[in-house]
Amino acid sequence: MNDPSRRRFLGVAGASAAVAGASAVIPSAAFAGETHRSAGSSTESVVAYVSDTASNELTLLVGEREVVVHDRDLVNRILNAAGK
Amino acid sequence: MSSHREAPETSKDPVADNTDVYAFVSPDRPDHVTLIANFIPFQKPDGGPNFYEFGEDVLYEIHVSNRGKAESDVTYEFRFDTHVRNDKTFLYNTGPINSIHDQTWNRPQRYSVTRVSHGHKAHLGDFLCPPCNIGPRSTPNFRKLSEEATHTAHGRRFYAGQRAEGFHVDLGSVFDLGTLRPFQSLHLIPSADALGVDGTKTYNVHTIAIQVPISELTRHRTRPTNPMHEDAVIGVWASASRRKSRMLDPHTGRRIGHGPWQQVSRLANPLFNEVLVPMAEKDEWNMRAPRHDSKFAKYVNHPELGRLLPVLYPGVFPHLARYAKPRADLNAILLTGIPAGVVPGFQNFTGPVEADMIRLNVAIPPSHKPNELGLVAGDPAGFPNGRRVFDDTTTVELRAIAGLTIPLVDPSYKPDAAAGGITDGTKNANPPYLDRFPYLGYANGGYQTKPGTSAVSGGLKSV
Repeated sequence: MNDPSRRRFLGVAGASAAVAGASAVIPSAAFAGETHRSAGSSTESVVAYVSDTASNELTLLVGEREVVVHDRDLVNRILNAAGK
Repeated sequence: MSSHREAPETSKDPVADNTDVYAFVSPDRPDHVTLIANFIPFQKPDGGPNFYEFGEDVLYEIHVSNRGKAESDVTYEFRFDTHVRNDKTFLYNTGPINSIHDQTWNRPQRYSVTRVSHGHKAHLGDFLCPPCNIGPRSTPNFRKLSEEATHTAHGRRFYAGQRAEGFHVDLGSVFDLGTLRPFQSLHLIPSADALGVDGTKTYNVHTIAIQVPISELTRHRTRPTNPMHEDAVIGVWASASRRKSRMLDPHTGRRIGHGPWQQVSRLANPLFNEVLVPMAEKDEWNMRAPRHDSKFAKYVNHPELGRLLPVLYPGVFPHLARYAKPRADLNAILLTGIPAGVVPGFQNFTGPVEADMIRLNVAIPPSHKPNELGLVAGDPAGFPNGRRVFDDTTTVELRAIAGLTIPLVDPSYKPDAAAGGITDGTKNANPPYLDRFPYLGYANGGYQTKPGTSAVSGGLKSV
């Protein structure tokens, strides 16, 4: 996953947490760094799924699509945000 | 039973639980095939105020394979949409429903049908369902409502909505350690023989039925006339799929789906997943495509029930008890189709790919004198050549597993005498089948249907 698309995802992931009414509010510091949404960013809610925390694989479910990305940094940041 | 609550996951998801599939050349329209898939089992007719309906969040499909690869060459997709007319009442209907268009039906459901073939999609129409059969004040002429909801468009016929359960089986006995009431004096834990009890009596299901020209389903878009030609056979199965992820929306109390559709239920031959596949693999089986069924072939070739029968009925099935060869007869009936040369003048072979499909030879015309035991009783228009609504598939499959069909592929085998006689002793006890589309009987009414016998315990009467 290149850097612009990672930033795009981070923006979407933040939106997903808000839409889902998550029980834990993720501090913005968890996703450090300024992000910008690109023109092609999703306007639908997104579910991000890390099925195997030992892998670098992240599954994004959006609309009727499934997008699988392999990005160690991105998965690490999500797991860090989801941890204690 | 056929495939009602047959797997741990589908038993918790009735809206997506595919209970029966039928495929047959239409007796009143022999140039058309009728395909039926039932869902939502064990509907108690008075089960309101939120009566039964299809899932808006479920993709229902009927698949047809015509190239011998057990792949979906033609698919009919059904998507449902529910509308609430008056959101200030708890009532399903705010007055008598005299027409499916009446405003008194507070929760009408409609559906769209799409035909998909090798990437090409064609929208076949949008249609209204009937309401459920509530009672004489709410649905005073339910037959009329059912007829109104039987739609015709461009020669095809469509119906989606409640019908009487057409499958019959003695549930109470077969799940009580394989008892068959007419023969239970011979059971390992014996009791006096008794008449069979239809466990589906008074229940309804939700039916999706279509009737389409034969030429719409065959490989070369023709109407085959030679039953021995490979193009004459189609494979049929149905499925239900849900979105891969569902999030609970606390603002609406409803689930929001994300991601692609994931199959959660499928069905072709009755009892396949229920009786042959071990409990621990049933959910996986439901999520797989039929073309991958070779993984489960061992359960067909060496069926657990075939080993249990001689144990449950000591001394009744001595020949079956000694038969150790793989069950090539069951493999042919359920996984490949019956090749030419086994039954004179008949075949429904779809090639070597092992896949659970209902195989229908469309060149065989409807029978003038149909026999509910189908092919094994000399009626080639019946199960396992397709499946008609009245075919007694429980008896046919019981007898097949008991060894009656082994001689088709192994002439040296002599079936046990009991193999040709066992049955659960039931007949259809619901409203009668129809002789026209959609063939399943009118749904039982909520007001009209009375609860049956209730008992917590009771000893076995000695033989």
